[in-house]
Amino acid sequence: MKTALEIENLVKRFGGLVATDNLSFHIEQGQSVGLIGPNGAGKTTVFAQIMGEHLQTSGTIRLYGKDIGSDSTPERIRKGVSRTYQVPRPFTDMTVLENIRVGQMPNSIWQMIKSKPQYEKEVELALSVGFSKTDLHKPPGELSMGDLRKLEMARTIATGSSVMLLDEVFAGLTVAEIAQIGALIQQMHKDGMTFLIVSHDLKALEPLVDSVIAINYGAKIAEGNFNDVMDNDNVRSSYLGAA
Amino acid sequence: MNLRWYHFALWALFILVMALIPELVSKGTLRIIIFANFLAIFAISWDVLSGRTGYISFGHPFLIGIGAYTSAILTKRFDVPIEYAIPAAVLMTMVGGIIVFLPALRIKGSYFALVTLAFMELIYQLVQVVRPDLTGGTRGMSGIETLTRGAVNGYYLSASLMVVVALSMWLLMRTQLGTALSAIGMNEESVRGSGLSTTRLKLFAFLTSAFVAGLGGAFYVHYLGSIAPRALFDINFLFTIIVAALIGGASTIIGPVIGAFFLTFLLEYLRPYLPGAERYFIYGMIALVLYMYEPKGLIQLFSNAWNSLFSRRESAGNQNSDQAGKQSDAL
Repeated sequence: MKTALEIENLVKRFGGLVATDNLSFHIEQGQSVGLIGPNGAGKTTVFAQIMGEHLQTSGTIRLYGKDIGSDSTPERIRKGVSRTYQVPRPFTDMTVLENIRVGQMPNSIWQMIKSKPQYEKEVELALSVGFSKTDLHKPPGELSMGDLRKLEMARTIATGSSVMLLDEVFAGLTVAEIAQIGALIQQMHKDGMTFLIVSHDLKALEPLVDSVIAINYGAKIAEGNFNDVMDNDNVRSSYLGAA
Repeated sequence: MNLRWYHFALWALFILVMALIPELVSKGTLRIIIFANFLAIFAISWDVLSGRTGYISFGHPFLIGIGAYTSAILTKRFDVPIEYAIPAAVLMTMVGGIIVFLPALRIKGSYFALVTLAFMELIYQLVQVVRPDLTGGTRGMSGIETLTRGAVNGYYLSASLMVVVALSMWLLMRTQLGTALSAIGMNEESVRGSGLSTTRLKLFAFLTSAFVAGLGGAFYVHYLGSIAPRALFDINFLFTIIVAALIGGASTIIGPVIGAFFLTFLLEYLRPYLPGAERYFIYGMIALVLYMYEPKGLIQLFSNAWNSLFSRRESAGNQNSDQAGKQSDAL
């Protein structure tokens, strides 16, 4: 099995604060891994470094064996890793399909001018994440939180990336929407997508992941299958306070 | 690109009307329309950059000025033939576009707008102080070689230039590139998060905008035959450009053309009643009311009227659900 994403001795300091503390882990291709930890543990900071939104202080990030630690965000996405955000960030004056179109576009001015939008693919993608046909021309303002999450996932899938980082995918969703997004992730996982998922909703996370990494104060405190990590004393005390 | 029959029909109608105008109106009105044509070009230039990407430029006279001064200086002081001076002026303006682009790498919003305003003030001072023997200093230049004689020829030149610029920019902005540039205006981070290099897209928008501004500026100076820094690097001129684009409908290309004509005629017809700067008060009021009522501008009013006329027939003939979506970008 090939390693999709490999983090080695990652360190991120903001002034005196160590947000990521010598963190190392790797995700095999097609694997789905949960990243958990209490508030402020540094989960989102790890995502930001993998995507190049923050530059790591030291350490390496490899995607399919190649160092991407100094690439720009768009370059990393084109190499195959992309993320969704805790708060969805759609293009407000565009329809669902146009939002997806932006993700699908070639990253070259000339190609953008020359090539036509792949309308059928946009529709297919929108339907595959669970939009109904009547939603396709709606602006994001008319969508529910669950639909905005779907839209964000669709746009992320449209970039063609094979490793997806999902940040708090279940935040603000109804029970029905959680089930829907969960089923979508499971389906994509089955189809071979590699996932790194941050979620506070551990119950919803459990069926989606093959293994879990727990961090606190930016450092790894436990790693393994879901139940073992949940039973780990360090993890329990990090969530509940020292016993 | 999704061109439909009514696009061809509307463009053909537009070109036909522009071609017939000299037969229909007086020489005086023609001179007003010439100014409207140039204003439309400047408003399109502003729209390609600011209307799309949301990087509001308060410095467009800076770009127009580079185009105008370069061509004027080259022809008058160095006897360069006009056909070389204008391309050189456009190139210089694009260099100016890169200069305006640099702050856009770091800042956005009102800060960016202020920096561009500073560019305009800067060049206003510079042309008066640095080498006044070239620039004509505070008094500017006159006796610059003109391309045409008479209102009719001037009209045809300006109208052709405006139509070519409008059509080519309209076609360009209907491609995926236009969608990407609009997306930057809505959420730049999400565009990066979609794997597109926003730096490259922004640079392209600035260069295209500068290209159009330089072209317009150079032709304008060779139409007028003179250049005056106080009129060019003027806050009223700047706001006329911006309001033309906004009143007509930003990020539509055609909107700014409509806006430019509307504004020019409004200001001109108010002149007998309000000779002074009070006219700007009236047009400010109109812009404000229009903005409250229809923020997407005059073009949206036309588009609504068009849809209410034709939508019933279209939806009866075609049940396809994406028809509704394509209707809205009819214009």
